[in-house]
Amino acid sequence: MDSVVSRLLAAGETEPRRGRDPVNLPMIRNWLEAMGDRHPGYELFAPPAMIQVWTMRGLSPGAPDPLQEMSVALDEAGFPNVVATDSEQVYHRYLRVGEEVSVRSRLESVTGPKRTSLGEGWFVTTVSTWFCDDEPVATMRFRILKYRAMSGSSPVAATPLKPVITADTAFFWDGITAGELRIQRCGECGALRHPPGPACPRCGALKQEHTVASGLGTIHSFTVHHHPPIPGRRAPYVVGLIDLAEGVRMVGEVRGPRPVKIGDPVRVFFDGGLPVWRPDLPIVEPWTLEVTPTMIISTALATRDFQDVHHDRDAAARRGNPDIFVNILTTTGLVQRYVTDHRPDAVVRGISIRLGTPCYAGDTLTFTGTVVSGGEIAIVGRTARGVHVTGTVGVAS
Amino acid sequence: MISPTCAIAGIGATEFSKDSGRSELRLAVEAVRAALDDAGLRPSDVSGLVTFGMDNNPEIAVARELGIGELRFLSRIGYGGGAACAVIQQAVLAVAAGLADVVVCYRALNERSGRRFGRAIASPDPDSGWHHPMGLATPAAMVAMVAQRYLHEYGAVPDDFGRVAVAMRRHASTNPYAWFHGRPITLDEHRASRWISEPLRLLDCCQESDGAVALVVTSLSRARDLPQPPAVISAAAQGSGPDQFVMTSYYRPQVASLPEMGVVARQLWEQSALTPADVRTAILYDHFTPYVLMQLEELGFCGRGEARHFVADGGIELGGRLPVNPHGGQLGEAYIHGMNGIAEAVRQVRGTAVNQVPGDGPVLVTAGTGVPTSGLILV
Repeated sequence: MDSVVSRLLAAGETEPRRGRDPVNLPMIRNWLEAMGDRHPGYELFAPPAMIQVWTMRGLSPGAPDPLQEMSVALDEAGFPNVVATDSEQVYHRYLRVGEEVSVRSRLESVTGPKRTSLGEGWFVTTVSTWFCDDEPVATMRFRILKYRAMSGSSPVAATPLKPVITADTAFFWDGITAGELRIQRCGECGALRHPPGPACPRCGALKQEHTVASGLGTIHSFTVHHHPPIPGRRAPYVVGLIDLAEGVRMVGEVRGPRPVKIGDPVRVFFDGGLPVWRPDLPIVEPWTLEVTPTMIISTALATRDFQDVHHDRDAAARRGNPDIFVNILTTTGLVQRYVTDHRPDAVVRGISIRLGTPCYAGDTLTFTGTVVSGGEIAIVGRTARGVHVTGTVGVAS
Repeated sequence: MISPTCAIAGIGATEFSKDSGRSELRLAVEAVRAALDDAGLRPSDVSGLVTFGMDNNPEIAVARELGIGELRFLSRIGYGGGAACAVIQQAVLAVAAGLADVVVCYRALNERSGRRFGRAIASPDPDSGWHHPMGLATPAAMVAMVAQRYLHEYGAVPDDFGRVAVAMRRHASTNPYAWFHGRPITLDEHRASRWISEPLRLLDCCQESDGAVALVVTSLSRARDLPQPPAVISAAAQGSGPDQFVMTSYYRPQVASLPEMGVVARQLWEQSALTPADVRTAILYDHFTPYVLMQLEELGFCGRGEARHFVADGGIELGGRLPVNPHGGQLGEAYIHGMNGIAEAVRQVRGTAVNQVPGDGPVLVTAGTGVPTSGLILV
């Protein structure tokens, strides 16, 4: 395998490989229909998230590319399974119907063996550039994990650690149920306090009352938890120590589009009976879709991805999956749809995503988004299994 | 006030391992017997037993197995590793009050092969209910929250934590009793070790160990008649700070500080009439590297936020201004909840340590950090 890696690294970029068809309306319409994307702008121009589709190999492989060669080498080295983990696409411009696209790829890195939640494996990263004639029109950094499935591994215990509710703390948890973040307030001197207790440390009164917090705060400190596994949670995740606007501190998970910093403003929401914090930024209305076998198969075919795990449940099961699952080109397409449904006028400049837990047939997928800046929207797609995708979409209006 | 009326007259331990293959009670019995042998005493001489609130071995069970007979003093101290030096203080109080002649302090645990402290558990403690359900459920994560703030406030970087780990592993590398004997690490290895809870990496966290340590406390006059040179207890202190929690004292104005260790430090200096400059070597509780930096500051060995310079200048190395944990600490030797550190302090006083620090100055020992804690000065 080492020799394959060094040969591919030395070889650099491949010769251009032409797509089977020019950019064409029937494939665009198939793609839009499968994605459920009703954006009116794609009659002359192709959806940018289709870029990879134009040069997919389909069922008739031609000249080998670095990704394919590394896949074969890792198959032989005993890492037969594959998942795509990252896709960072940059679109220099939209493609017009009729344009001919070719692609050149190079191997960027091969790292491993790494222990992952799926099993031991290697990350293979390639960089592709698409051209119309000599003009680069899009680039993509693409990462896959080639792995051997863990044997006899036990799934993460599903039951999260429960709050400890006592006579002194019940008001806080009743508040969560009521959609309020409550802070203990002394009924005598008015002092605020968290965590709560039966007495007021300031005046000694045993007169517990509460006030409802504004839900705004800043990050005083935080940690990103990686190991060991915590019941009911998927690592890595961020836990913050939040300075509430009211002057008390509180610990809670922070979910957001980017690494947090001390001092970041955050706002509370409630999930799973717990207060959770997110960056205090404008949000994109959430979008929920039911992931059916039909949707998985039609989008896989519309993206010219004929990997068996996206249409053949028996094949998916043989590779350790409960069902067929959404391919990464489709996740990219759904991310684009989520953003352009919200901002129909936006020109999509790039989509960078990282995949987490697979999205299987029967799952309910919910996208949430945050407007990080005028040109950047951060998205998260979750199913009941965990975070399926996180990423950012670069837009220009 | 503790005056130097008592001494540690015997130390005993099992081997330190990842799988003792024996019950915790048996480890306790082996360590207590070894400590008594070291002190030249018999089980029948023992009138008191003290251990940690977390220890699974009842005093009466240890007494039964060793044939100690009657006990006149039984005591336990809570708050995990914060108890380490406080159990000695309990023994001193009992001996000084005339309640007991010989008190043995012990701690025995199969912490690697049995219940691993590093794992998350569902605790019924109301205080933990503000942290565990939110995903902050392991000691490393709880320390990481403080460590991140420490980095922020003082402009320190994770390498500053790494240098502590490197020093401890270097010390352990020449200690045949250490789990990491012969296995020093480099700063690059620290940087490459996997994240546990950012900003803490694997090599910032002490090991999980199986083993037991026991220490025999008796009056100074009796200790002088025993075979070993007495390690005189010059100071023994316990402390908790304002708004104290166990590992999660996040609700104080200063999160990146250890005021409970300040409470202990002030008492140690006052009781002993010593100053930080007098200390020959310090055994600092090192379950996680950031707290070694913060202890150096809290104990007065350097100013607030300056420990990283002290460490980068080699201050904690053998031959440095203040050699810290010559045995390799809990990062290098074993994690026996701080009790192996007290045994090392006794060896340093006796002059029998494998990495002996020259001189005859006092030896300082601290107990668990981030919790109500304790400390000792031995001379």
